Amino acid sequence: MRFRTGYSLIGLFLTGSENNNKKIMSCELKPKERVGVINPIFTCQPAGAQYASIGIKDCIGIVHGGQGCVMFVRLIFSQHFKESFELASSSLHEDAAVFGALHRVEQGIDVLLMRYPHVKVVPIITTCSTEIIGDDIDGVILKLNNGLLKEKYAGREVHLIPIHTPSFVGSMISGYDIAVKDFVSYFAKKEDSLNGKINLITGWVDPGDVTELKSLLSEMEVEATVLFEIETFDSPLMPDGNHVSHGETTIEDLRSTANAIGTIALNRYEGGKAARYLEQEFDVPAIIGPTPIGIRNTDTFLQNVKKMTGKPIPESLVIKRGIAIDAIADVSHMFLAGKKVAIYGSADLVIGLAEFCLDLEMEPVLLLLGDDNPNYAKDPRIIALKEGVAFNMEIVTNADFWELEDRIKNKGLELDLILGHSKGRYIAIDNNIPMVRVGFPVYDRAGYFRHPVVGYAGATWLAEQMANALFTDMEYKHNKEWVLNVW
Amino acid sequence: MPYHQFKCSESIPERLQHAVDKAPGEQLTDALPLGYLNTIPGTISERGCAYCGAKHVIGTPMKDVIHISHGPVGCTYDTWQTKRYISDDGNFQLKYTFATDMKEANVVFGAEKMLKKNIIEAFKAFPDIKRMSIYQTCASALIGDDINAIADEVMEEMPNVKVFVCNSPGFAGPSQSGGHHKINLAWLSQMVGTGEPEIYSKYVINYVGEYNIQGDQEIMKDYFHRMGIQILSTFTGNTHFDDLRSMHRAQLNVLECARSAEYICDELRVRYGIPRMDIDGFGFEALSDSLLKIGYFFGIEDKAREIIAEETARWKPELDWYAARLKGKKICLWPGGSKLWHWAHMIHKEMGIEVASVYTKFGHQGDMEKGISRCEPGALAIDDPNELEGLEAMYELKPDVILTGKRPGEVAKKIRVPYLNVHGYHNGPYKGYEGWVRLARDLYNAIYSPMHKLACLDISKDEIPTDKGFETQQIYSDVMLSDEIKNSTELRKCTSKYDPIPGIRKKAEDGLYLFPDPKTGELKHVPVEKLRKNKVVDVE
Repeated sequence: MRFRTGYSLIGLFLTGSENNNKKIMSCELKPKERVGVINPIFTCQPAGAQYASIGIKDCIGIVHGGQGCVMFVRLIFSQHFKESFELASSSLHEDAAVFGALHRVEQGIDVLLMRYPHVKVVPIITTCSTEIIGDDIDGVILKLNNGLLKEKYAGREVHLIPIHTPSFVGSMISGYDIAVKDFVSYFAKKEDSLNGKINLITGWVDPGDVTELKSLLSEMEVEATVLFEIETFDSPLMPDGNHVSHGETTIEDLRSTANAIGTIALNRYEGGKAARYLEQEFDVPAIIGPTPIGIRNTDTFLQNVKKMTGKPIPESLVIKRGIAIDAIADVSHMFLAGKKVAIYGSADLVIGLAEFCLDLEMEPVLLLLGDDNPNYAKDPRIIALKEGVAFNMEIVTNADFWELEDRIKNKGLELDLILGHSKGRYIAIDNNIPMVRVGFPVYDRAGYFRHPVVGYAGATWLAEQMANALFTDMEYKHNKEWVLNVW
Repeated sequence: MPYHQFKCSESIPERLQHAVDKAPGEQLTDALPLGYLNTIPGTISERGCAYCGAKHVIGTPMKDVIHISHGPVGCTYDTWQTKRYISDDGNFQLKYTFATDMKEANVVFGAEKMLKKNIIEAFKAFPDIKRMSIYQTCASALIGDDINAIADEVMEEMPNVKVFVCNSPGFAGPSQSGGHHKINLAWLSQMVGTGEPEIYSKYVINYVGEYNIQGDQEIMKDYFHRMGIQILSTFTGNTHFDDLRSMHRAQLNVLECARSAEYICDELRVRYGIPRMDIDGFGFEALSDSLLKIGYFFGIEDKAREIIAEETARWKPELDWYAARLKGKKICLWPGGSKLWHWAHMIHKEMGIEVASVYTKFGHQGDMEKGISRCEPGALAIDDPNELEGLEAMYELKPDVILTGKRPGEVAKKIRVPYLNVHGYHNGPYKGYEGWVRLARDLYNAIYSPMHKLACLDISKDEIPTDKGFETQQIYSDVMLSDEIKNSTELRKCTSKYDPIPGIRKKAEDGLYLFPDPKTGELKHVPVEKLRKNKVVDVE
């Protein structure tokens, strides 16, 4: 059992009344009923491919499409991290709609390689426009490999990688998933011996998450190839030099993924594809999930690492876990129990958070998943929620923010807390509901990317953030704020 | 005026003519950088697309409108909540954005039907809103959906709604500027003349090319109202859809951002004979000249003089406090398209700051012409800058602060140059006399930030003073000042509130404005409701 709730425990004793209870209390998975989107939770596929590509060292992606597809995605990255990341555009203009724009890809790659001599990896990321026009980027890459790269850039290591991410399919999440898989499948190369490492495919996370995950693995003395090494997204302001924020995963890292002991992909929908590819193509055993949010999921993650590597879980992690549980126990059953929460964002994050909330005795009454991935219905975690919750819970797929706001404003949904990224901030602000920022992007709070939400440290941070958000709200509303006088 | 050769761009010779150094004694006509040409792919240019120019810059500031983008969800999501154009009635335009969420099947089979469903859904979700603006994107343009036909159908079926269509896909032009142009003309041909306004003053203007960033429009509106001028519409900050339908009834178009909105002014002149007057709302002198110009036009220059005298007396001592401390500092003025010429001369003249460089992302040659002519010799002017050129210029020029956008600001930060947001502002508004003082204060706080001084120290090498627990901006800024300035009782620091806009809004409630009746000239109060929303009736 992934989590325990009052209902499932009571159910053990009161099996006769289970059916009756289910009619009243249920968890329902359904798609948004409207066609359109009022305030989107997600952006489109190319943004996901761009997020993956900034995680790779010596890599600058070229987005084949209009300039806005890059300019605004770079802006969102810089809003979230307060850093700038390099991504180029093929700068599609009118003539492309008529004549195609492959020549602009050719020119763009040449210009980029001339001016950025360190660049080795250039993903060509497509968009809605260039997929509709039907530009053959695979063909143009073949042409450049046999022409420009052999002639003008002879002796220079350059990898041109086609990444097809039409914006009218999937979302930023599937775009990320596709790109990770494309990078892995391009580079991964089987060698005679294993490299002694595991592949850790983190999914769309923050630098703080990577730091926490690496710390857990290092306590277990497990070496990992991390896709992607993005701790450097939190980069220093140095007394000299220009420190461009960029990921640190190398070509060699990507190559050696084929020779790992195994792959752990933490997120089913953000990197799962690459893990499955490595398993099918190179027999690298894959464990996909769970997203290690909360104590229980982190326990599972460590068990998986142990199973994969044979390394024991050391006393130091027992202590780390104990510190987390000690901190969480201070706030959980006194303050968090019974609190109704709505959670939105990417499926892996939302499900992980919901599971953790259940362990905290909270009631995640509404989960909003921002795209229409048909696999959600088959996700064992969602099936478990459907079977296991003791209150009314709705999971809406292909959701937008109106699904949340409409329920609050017009349908009587009462919430104690909202968990999600900054784009939903006005729902919290205008309805006076406390909110903890989590996910991507978070631009209306300082430094959140530095804090993990995964692992034991992430569990502590999340529980304490939720408690502190409720405390601040109690004070603003004079709602039993005196409770805290003696806490 | 020789072209400026960036080392980083030697490999792309076509970039050479996009940058010039302004040399002493030379004529502007000797050399102007090329402008508004297609971007060279792969340069990591800072330009956006024509969709964002239309929807995000000009369309969305309209406050009582459902803004819906017909395409995949990304265009909408990415541009949403990245600007600071506020409104005086709840910020609907910041809080809500709509996308038709085009999926693969729509691309194959067409998306007109689902567009119509979308429109109906959106009106249903917000029953109080009767106005809509639909923006084409790359995807809907390429599949050839006839958005105008759907809009007409909806308006026929729902007689109380109005739907405006802007066909400006992302690829339509070298930059966002293409979108400015398209939405200007689309608005003029679809909407202007379809509403008749109630005229309550002898003096009636449209305020054009003003987007109410952090309240800019509301600061300027206060001056116009104090002069007794009725503002029919603002194109498009803090404005109602219907106000803009009645633009044809103004006596004068007062144009602020000529880059984004000169097109509609020029067409209003051609079609309706309304003159265009370009003004500058930034800088005491430029603003005073502008108010006077408008005053002369209507024969109410005395009114303008009163405001100029009052505001100057109120704010000049604060501007001068900063000017004394900003003198000789060096900036790069790197905005989008128009602030290079709005600000360059005023920052130099009124704050004593040297403008070492100007650039424009989406400006045309005309903007460069104005911008360079308002710079001092030695300035470097760059058209369509890219990441490496920006860095090279900063290393070379060593500015004390850089005025640019959010993301390039992060690049500057990393080489220890503080930045000020020139698009959304740091602590704006920056228009008006009060706003200009706020800009001076923000520049001062950026340039003399103790944290930025610390950033330049290397604790492994440098001599680090160990006898200091803190330093302040004023410790740095007052070192070289004469006692006369330091001890001046006349000069003072900025006293503007954190948010000055609520106070300005209250003036309308308090009935502080008088307007001359259009027929009798008699000075009258106008009810606050009317000041907030002009009455506009549909033309049959």
